[in-house]
Amino acid sequence: MSATTTEVRRSHSLKRRLLASMAAAFLLLLLLISVLLWNYSRAAANRTYDLLLAGAALSVLERVSYNSAGPTVDLPQSAMDILALAADDRVAYRVFSPNYGELTGTPDLPVPDSLQPSIDPVFYDARLDEGFRFVFQGRQITSSRGREWVFVQIGQTLNARTAQRDALFLYGMIGLGAVSLIGLGFVWLAIRTSLAPLRAIADTLMARTSRDLSPIEGDPPLEVSDLFRAINSFIAQLVRSRNLTESFIADVAHQTRTSLSALQGQLSLAADAKEFDRMRDRLGKAEKQAERTVHLTNQLLANAMVIHRSEDAQLEPMDLRKLVRDTLAELLRERRLRQVSISFDDAGLPEGEAFIRGDAISIREALRNLIDNAVRHGGPENTILIEIDADEHVVRLTVSDAGPGIARADLVRATERFTSISSKTAGSGLGLAIVRSVAEGHGARLQLGSSVLGGLRATIVFPRLLAISLACLLLSLPANPASARELGIHAATDPGAMQPLVDAFEAQSPGWTVTYREYQTVDLYREVLDADPETRADVIISSAMDLQVELVNRGLARTLRLPSAILPPDWARWRSQLFGFTWEPAAIIYDKREFDEKDLPTSHRDLASFIRENEAKLRGEIGGYDLRRSGIGYLFATQDTIQSVQAQRLTEVLTRANAQSFCCTSDMLDAIAAGKLSMALNVIGSYAMKRDPGPGQENIGVHFLEDYNLVMSRTAWVPKTAPEPEMAERFVAFLLSAEGQSIINLKTPLIPLLLPREQPLGLEDVRPAGNASFLPIRLGPGLLTFLDQIKSDEFLRSWASSMGDQDYGP
Amino acid sequence: MRMLLVEDNDELAETILDRLRSEGHSVDREDNGEEANELLRFSSFDIVLLDINLPGRSGYDVLRSMRSRGDATPVIVLTARSEIDDRVVGLDAGADDYMVKPFDFRELSARCRVLARRRAGSSSNVFTAGSFSFDRAAKQAHVDGLQLELRAREVQLLEIMLDNLGRMLTKEEVADKLYTFEETPSLNAVEQLVTRLRRKLEGAPLVIKTARGLGYMAYVSDDD
Repeated sequence: MSATTTEVRRSHSLKRRLLASMAAAFLLLLLLISVLLWNYSRAAANRTYDLLLAGAALSVLERVSYNSAGPTVDLPQSAMDILALAADDRVAYRVFSPNYGELTGTPDLPVPDSLQPSIDPVFYDARLDEGFRFVFQGRQITSSRGREWVFVQIGQTLNARTAQRDALFLYGMIGLGAVSLIGLGFVWLAIRTSLAPLRAIADTLMARTSRDLSPIEGDPPLEVSDLFRAINSFIAQLVRSRNLTESFIADVAHQTRTSLSALQGQLSLAADAKEFDRMRDRLGKAEKQAERTVHLTNQLLANAMVIHRSEDAQLEPMDLRKLVRDTLAELLRERRLRQVSISFDDAGLPEGEAFIRGDAISIREALRNLIDNAVRHGGPENTILIEIDADEHVVRLTVSDAGPGIARADLVRATERFTSISSKTAGSGLGLAIVRSVAEGHGARLQLGSSVLGGLRATIVFPRLLAISLACLLLSLPANPASARELGIHAATDPGAMQPLVDAFEAQSPGWTVTYREYQTVDLYREVLDADPETRADVIISSAMDLQVELVNRGLARTLRLPSAILPPDWARWRSQLFGFTWEPAAIIYDKREFDEKDLPTSHRDLASFIRENEAKLRGEIGGYDLRRSGIGYLFATQDTIQSVQAQRLTEVLTRANAQSFCCTSDMLDAIAAGKLSMALNVIGSYAMKRDPGPGQENIGVHFLEDYNLVMSRTAWVPKTAPEPEMAERFVAFLLSAEGQSIINLKTPLIPLLLPREQPLGLEDVRPAGNASFLPIRLGPGLLTFLDQIKSDEFLRSWASSMGDQDYGP
Repeated sequence: MRMLLVEDNDELAETILDRLRSEGHSVDREDNGEEANELLRFSSFDIVLLDINLPGRSGYDVLRSMRSRGDATPVIVLTARSEIDDRVVGLDAGADDYMVKPFDFRELSARCRVLARRRAGSSSNVFTAGSFSFDRAAKQAHVDGLQLELRAREVQLLEIMLDNLGRMLTKEEVADKLYTFEETPSLNAVEQLVTRLRRKLEGAPLVIKTARGLGYMAYVSDDD
């Protein structure tokens, strides 16, 4: 601990403290303002998103009408599209009438008790499984019984509005923060200038030589005068201490020189002695004097060494008992201890438990001195007892002898330097001082008292070092059981399409097997809703984007954190819960033997006309998906009605041409290859494009229109109830990874999602060339429109009847 | 005894030589580690007094060379430093004892005597100290000409203590040396054995000292 570092540290901490308190004050202000800012942001965000709810409610109410069965509503696409402006929020809606009950939507959504029917929108918060914000609005329609109220309730989760609130708040705070920092900067400058006088003092002191211990002079400002006084009194203390040290050195010099002069005197007397006996006598005295001098010198050296070591040496963990035993064993070889009865008692010590932090050399020195003391003062028939004992906090080393001991009054003096209590014994006066220095260097206490043997009892009390428990070191973590773990994937895709992905994933996940279950889209949807605990899946994959959105909208999906490098474009992901991983266009497939590419229509408008004109050729030989059974068929068909005003006309034309319906793509492709079907509409193009060559395959043509072609994406999500969520998340990431996408491209009939420029391997030719334009179907609440019960019933009924099935029922 | 003193300080060497010669020993002196090493290769001594700080080779080197040659001559290391490192290094290198300068010459003599006796006792069959003698082969001890009546175990113990003259042995170490594998050593039995032997040795110059909690040490009391 040198003086220079303490000085520098002092000046920094004062500045810091001042700065810190100013910063604290600013923070307090900031806190106050932030509360206000928060409230404002929340209100603003609410206003914004309430408008969406209001708009959606309005558009629904607009489509409320009355028919023979009572009030009804034709849910407009725009309602969900408006709500989809808050891209990641789940949606719940309900249309009901007090007299006729639930019309459509989720029944029994929460309504606050105090609500009055109103034609103006009313907003309120409620909780389903998450926080929702609701709008409630009513409209009166004329029925056969008079005016009826019909109410619409639309709710949305709070993600978008909380995001906006947070953004407003954040930007506000950032501004405030910047201002505060600048303010603090000024404060810092001010502190610097006011602390300048302190620096002046520091400089003055630094400029001094080490010998200059005069008090510092000056006329300090009021605030600093206390410091001035303190420094001067400290300097005075230093002066005193230096004087003490100098007097110690003087003492040492005195003792040593006195001793040596006496020795020299005795020897010169001996040399001058005339008679042999006198000479012998003198020489005997000289020898004793020499012994004393040697002893004194050794003690001085020991004292210096011990003090030096207490400042410099490292204290290491050591076993005191072992050290004491070894030291005693060695000491006992000395002749002068032969007659002394020595015993060692470590009964008060549990086995092996005398660990302290110590410096072995210093402790040896201390012990030697204590025993030396005991021997000197005790006389020839002495008994010396050395004891070690310990309790929770300390380890005690005690040396007791049977000598005369030290009187109570003298105990304090005994440890001072050059103080020998008894002048008769030839001590140096340093022994106990050395022991005390050693104790101080170890953070230990030296206690002196009377022993049961009648003499002195000297105890060094060391702080104990608790033994490191071996148990901690031996603690071993239980090894992971090497049992195989299962990942369950439920999918509505051909197994052939997914198998290469599953195989590759298994290969890179040792210890895991993938159980793959195949479903039709609607069956998969129902199975998820049934939530049979026996068949809990980890990943749900389907081509029916709308059904997937519907399930995720119910809050069943787990949020996945995928690295941004592999995230699909935003039309192919929703809420960080649902992810698309393929790119599959709807195409027109046709028999090349029947039609030429150049004769085929180029837009949806032209398509209806084309079918009409070629009705004869196409009668009974044109087909599409069975919308009741094929989720993807339903999706394409309903999305077409949104995009194109020709949908109605197309339906008529297909009815006249006696269109056939099929459950799946492969059936249609087989039928075309076999010549039984000439054309199929809105078919998943990727299967056709990547079909393996086989008999009749070369006759299958794939055609895209120029105005738009719908593109769907197969999607995957992880249920909240998945048994292996982390692995499921990894599987989804794998599907989207470069490796997964390349496997999709090269080994499956599917087309990968990610654009060629992000994919190095052989994707350049995948996207159809020419003038075709592609319109990806967007993942989001917009897809819920056509899942609405009324709307879908209506749509399917009209489709079924166009297929010739008049008895279609829900 | 034939002794070798290796000490580079002339004044100190002179006083040691005088002392030892006056006690009747024949002492050679070297003041250089290298030469001492050479001398030790070809001549044998009863005891070597070895200073550490030497010109040429250091005392430790000389000691290590001796031991690696298989030379088991007792060595007392003389060192001016009392720190543990020196002591441990010295004993590790194979010294039998060490003394710190300035030392008491009487102490030095006594240590030499102890070592000499130890060595004599192990190299020859008869150990003598004043009025006490012990015949290893015959397994008989005499004090003032009178034979002591010793049981077999007591003779064993006596031998062990003489082999370790001047050294402290713990109760466990004694038990280890006394009993073979098959026998179960009892520390109580050792204690009783020592008490009995001590009683029988009463009046003899050979003393077995007990330091309770530490162990036993045998020494010859006429060294005082």
